[in-house]
Amino acid sequence: MTNQTHPDEGHELQALSAYVDGELPAAERAAVAERIASDTASAATVRAYEAQDNALRALFAGNSEPQVVVMRPRARQRYLMAACWLVVGVACGYLLHMLLPALAEDRPQFAQRADIAYAVYAPEQRHAVEVAASQQDHLVTWLSKRLNRTLTIPSLTEYGFQLVGGRLLPGEDGPAAQFMYQNADGERLTLYMAIVTRSQSKIKMLRDGPRTTYYWATDRVGYALSGQIGEAKLQAIAYDTCRELGGDPKEW
Amino acid sequence: MQRVQAEATDHAPWLSFIGRRFLSFEAELVVHLPQLRRYARALTGDRAWADDLVQDATERALGRAKAFRAGTNLRAWLFTIMRNLYIDQLRGRRDIAVDDETAPWRQMAAPTGEVDGLVLRDVQRALYLLPAEQREVMLLVCVEEMTYQEASVVLNVPAGTVMSRLSRAREHMRVLLGEEPGHNKPSSLKVVSRL
Repeated sequence: MTNQTHPDEGHELQALSAYVDGELPAAERAAVAERIASDTASAATVRAYEAQDNALRALFAGNSEPQVVVMRPRARQRYLMAACWLVVGVACGYLLHMLLPALAEDRPQFAQRADIAYAVYAPEQRHAVEVAASQQDHLVTWLSKRLNRTLTIPSLTEYGFQLVGGRLLPGEDGPAAQFMYQNADGERLTLYMAIVTRSQSKIKMLRDGPRTTYYWATDRVGYALSGQIGEAKLQAIAYDTCRELGGDPKEW
Repeated sequence: MQRVQAEATDHAPWLSFIGRRFLSFEAELVVHLPQLRRYARALTGDRAWADDLVQDATERALGRAKAFRAGTNLRAWLFTIMRNLYIDQLRGRRDIAVDDETAPWRQMAAPTGEVDGLVLRDVQRALYLLPAEQREVMLLVCVEEMTYQEASVVLNVPAGTVMSRLSRAREHMRVLLGEEPGHNKPSSLKVVSRL
C-alpha cells in the first residue's frame, strides 16, 4: 500500500514507527520528537501506533499454562535403538544358550539315573539285585573293580534297613553301582554310586512323583539315596550316610 | 517510547545473577518457552497448531543444540527455528487458512474490552487480515519486544526491511481499524480495496 503513498511520506511514517520502537539514532530521534511536538498529525500517528502496540500486548498477555514438550526419538535414534535392542536380544540368546547346559548340569544326571533305577528295581521281587548280601565281599570287590574306586557299603541297620544286595548299572560315563536295602515292612531304599566330574559337598534333593532322592558327591563319586519313606526320615539317613562315606557335615 | 532490549534476563532476573555459562542449554531454553508459545499462538491464531509448532521447534532445537553458538542470541535462534517450521507448514495449510469464516483465529476466545480506545476484538480481526509477512514482524517487535536487529535475524531480512515492513504493517492496521490516518492520505481507503 505504501507503493501509492508519497516516498517522503513513507519515509516519514517509517521514522515515526521507528521512533515508537526506540530504534532511531539520537540525532534523528531528537528531530522526530520536535516534529511530533509541533505537528498534531504526527503526534496522532505515534499515539495510534502506541495504541496498537498496547492493544496487541493486551491481546496476547497472560499465557501462563505450562508448556509440555515431549521428546520423541528421531528416525536415526529409532534405528540406533532398534539396533541396540537387536544386539541385546542376540546377546541374551547366546547367554541363555551358554547357560542352559550349565543349569541342566545343576541337577546332575547321576541323581536322575539313580531315581529311575530305584523306580525300576525297587518293586522287583525275585530279581531285585544281581548279587545278594550273602556275598557282600564279592559284591564290594566286584563293583569297586568296575567303578575303579574302593567302594564302601554303609550299614543302615540302625534305621532298620538291611542290605539286600547290589547290581551293576550303566551310568552316564561308565558303570554305576546300586545297593538295595529293605526294612521289616518291606520298604526299600537304594544307594546309587557313579563316577562324576564335579564334587558337590551339599546334599540336595530331587523329587519325582512319590520318590525322593538325596544326592551329593565326594571325591568324585556321586551318591544318591532314593526311597519312598518320607522326606524327613530319608534326609536323616542321607546325612548320616554322607558322613559315613567321607562327606564333611560342616559343608552341608 | 524507549524500549530496553528484551533478553532472557528480563524474564528471569536470577539468570544473570548465577551467570549464564553455568546454566545448561536446556535450562536456558525453558526460560524462552512461554514467549515462544505466545508468539506461536499469536502468529497462527490456532492453539493446537501453536502447541505443535512449539513442540516441533523445541525438539528440533534440543536436537541441534550443538549447532547453537554459545553467547549468541538464543531467543532469536529459537524463534528462527520456529518461524521456518511455520513457513513450511503454512504452505501446506494455506488453502484452509484463508477462508475467512472458518479461519482458525475465529475459534480463539473473543477478547473483550478495549485498550487506548481500540476494541480488542477489532484489533484481533485486523491482525489476522494482515498478510502473514506483516503480522509476523508486528508480533515480533510490538508483542515480543524484539529489536529490529533481533527481528531481522528471525525473519532473515536486513534490519532496514524490518523497519519498512513494520511501518507498512502499522499503517495497514490503522486502515483496517477504520482510523483516519494522521497524514493527508486520502488514497488509503482505496489501498485497502486493492488488498
